[in-house]
Amino acid sequence: MADLKHRILMVSDFFYPNFGGVENHIYYLSQCLLKLGHKVVVLTHAYGNRSGVRYMTGGLKVYYVPWRPFLMQNTFPTIYGTFPIIRTILLREKISLVHGHQAFSTLCHETLMHARTMGYKVVFTDHSLYGFADVGSIHMNKVLQFTLADVTRAICVSHTSKENTVLRSGLPPEKVFVIPNAVDTAMFKPAQQRLGRDEIVIVVISRLVYRKGADLLVEVIPEVCRLYPNVRFIVGGDGPKRVRLEEMREKHSLQDRVEMLGAVPHASVRSVLISGHIFLNSSLTEAFCIAILEAASCGLLTVSTRVGGVPEVLPDDMIVLAEPDPSDMVHAIRKAISILPNIDPQVMHDRVSNFH
Amino acid sequence: MDMNFTADSSLAPSRWRKVAYGGMQPGYDDNHTDETFLEDMVMNANVVKRNMLKVMQDSVSISQYLCIVFLVVLVWIYTLRSTLNENSLLLLDISLLGSGFIILVLTEEMLSLKRLWNYILNVSFFTTGLFVLAPIYQTLTRSISSDSIWAVTISLLLLHLFLHDYSGSTIRPSGALKNPNLTSCISLNASIVASVFIASRLPSRVHVFATMLFSLQIFLFAPLVTYCIKKYSFRLHLLFSLGLMAVTLTFVYSLHCLLFVLLVGILIFVNVVCPYWLIRIQEYKFEINGPWDEAKLCFDITD
Repeated sequence: MADLKHRILMVSDFFYPNFGGVENHIYYLSQCLLKLGHKVVVLTHAYGNRSGVRYMTGGLKVYYVPWRPFLMQNTFPTIYGTFPIIRTILLREKISLVHGHQAFSTLCHETLMHARTMGYKVVFTDHSLYGFADVGSIHMNKVLQFTLADVTRAICVSHTSKENTVLRSGLPPEKVFVIPNAVDTAMFKPAQQRLGRDEIVIVVISRLVYRKGADLLVEVIPEVCRLYPNVRFIVGGDGPKRVRLEEMREKHSLQDRVEMLGAVPHASVRSVLISGHIFLNSSLTEAFCIAILEAASCGLLTVSTRVGGVPEVLPDDMIVLAEPDPSDMVHAIRKAISILPNIDPQVMHDRVSNFH
Repeated sequence: MDMNFTADSSLAPSRWRKVAYGGMQPGYDDNHTDETFLEDMVMNANVVKRNMLKVMQDSVSISQYLCIVFLVVLVWIYTLRSTLNENSLLLLDISLLGSGFIILVLTEEMLSLKRLWNYILNVSFFTTGLFVLAPIYQTLTRSISSDSIWAVTISLLLLHLFLHDYSGSTIRPSGALKNPNLTSCISLNASIVASVFIASRLPSRVHVFATMLFSLQIFLFAPLVTYCIKKYSFRLHLLFSLGLMAVTLTFVYSLHCLLFVLLVGILIFVNVVCPYWLIRIQEYKFEINGPWDEAKLCFDITD
C-alpha cells in the first residue's frame, strides 16, 4: 500500500504566475508529492499569454486551459462547458485522484462535479473562512453544499476552518481532515547576526486591503511611535489602503520612522523579515496565517489579532494575541517589547522546523 | 511546553488540543472531532423576539401612508373630473400647509424662531418656483394619451409605495440621525414624476399649479409631519391613523365600490395577516456566529 503511486490532478483557478497563499500551497504540495514518487498534473486557466501545457520544476505538468477569467481570477462558470477538456485531461493523464483547492474557484467546483460524475476519487481543500450572512456568501455556500455533497474527503487548514466548512457545506465532520499549512524552513532562516536591541524594528508584510486590517495599522502605528521613541516600522506590501498609510505618515511626520517598501516579491520576503524584531499582523479574518509561520521561522516574535485560526498556529510563547482593537493591539506590542530580550531567533527557528 | 510527551503521557493518552502545530497528536487522527467541536458557535445572538401586538401597532404606519396616497389619488380623480375646482383646491393646499406647520411647531421640542423662519423661507421658495414652472408642466404630455398617463402613474405610485421608507422620513428634520438611502430617494422621485404626469392633464395653469402644490406638499412633507407626530406621542399617532383610515374608506366608498373592497382587503392584509405571518416564519431564523467571523472595526474609517 505504501508504494502505490497515484496520478493526481490539482485543480484551481489560482496558480503561478499569480502569487498568493493558495498558489504557493499547490506548488509546494505538488513538489512534495513528486518527491514521493507520485505524478502530479495541475489544471488552471490561462494567464494572459501563458496558455497551453507548461512544465515546471520536478516535471510538474501544468495545463493552462485557454479560458478568460471574468471575476477576480475566476473562470466564467458554464457548468457543462468545461466537461470536454476536463474529461480529455483525466483520460489522457490516467488520473487516479482529483484534488481541488479553494471554495471561491469556479473551475475547482466544476471539475469536482465532473470528476465525481466519472467516478474518480475527489479531495477538496478549503483555504479561507467565509461568512453566512451576505448575499455572496449565501450563494457560494449553496454551491458548496451541492459540490461537496459527494466528495470523498475534505481538508481544512485549521480547526476553526473545519468548523466553518462543516457548517457551510453540511459535511459530516469525520470526512474533514485538519492538515495545517507548512512553511519551507530552509528558505526562512534567521539572520546570521542577531540584531541590536537599542532600536526595535516592527515588520508588517501584507496586502494593504480592508480584510488584512490596514485600517487598524493606521490607528496603531502613530500611537506606538508616540509611546516608544526607539521603535521603527517597516511596512511591505501594496494595495488600495496604501494611500491611507501614506497620509497617516504625513500627518504625524513619521517619514523617518515608518518605511514603506511597496510590493515585496516573494523571494525577498525573507530579507525584509530578518531586518526586524517583531512581526505585526492585523488581519480581520484568517483561516491560517502562513505569514506568521514564516516570521516565526525567521526568528521574529509575532503580535497578531485574535481572529479565525490564528490562535492555533503558534504556541503561546511565540505569539502575543490581541483583540482587533487599536488600544488592545498597542498593549500587546508593549508586552511583546517587554518579552523581546528572552527571545532567541535560532531556538525559535529550530522549534518551527520541528513543528511539522 | 508544546511537546512534552515524557511528562504527562506515561499511562493516559494526552488530551486533544485545538492547535495546528506539532503534527499529528498521538492517539488522535487528523479527522478527529472532539466534544468541543462547535462549542464556540453562537446561534441567533442578535435576533429580537417579536410580540404580535407591537408588530400590529408598527404596521399602522404603513397603512396610514397607504391611506394618504389613496387620498391623493382621490383628489386627482376629482380634479380631473372637474368635481373639485381650482379655488377649492388652492384653499385645500393652504389649509394643509397651515395645519402641517402648526403640527410641526407643536410637536418639535426645540422650537426656535430661526428654525421656523428657515421652514417658512424654504416653503415660499418652493411655492414660487412651482408657480413659475406651472406653464411648462401644463404642456408637457400633450401628445401622450390619457391611458398611458394613468398606466405610468399607477406603476410609479406602486414603485413609490414599495421603496418608501416607512420608518423615517426622506426629508429629514434637521438633527435627525440617519441619512436617506438610495431606495427612499428613488421612491420620492417616482412620486414626484407621477404628480407631474397627472398635473399635465389639467386644463388651466392655475389648475396645474394647485394640483402640483397639493401633490408635492403631501409627498414631500406628509412623511415628515407623521414622523413628528409619531415621535411626539404614539397614542396620538394611532388615533390620527385610525381617523385617516376612516376618512379614506368613506371617500373611496362613495367613489367606487370595487376600490373600497380592494382598500379594505389591503388594510386587513397589511395590519393583520402580515404580522401573523412574520411571527410564524421567525421560528426558522438561523443566525450563526463564531470565531470564524470577520472582525468588525469598532471605530469609523474617516478618509
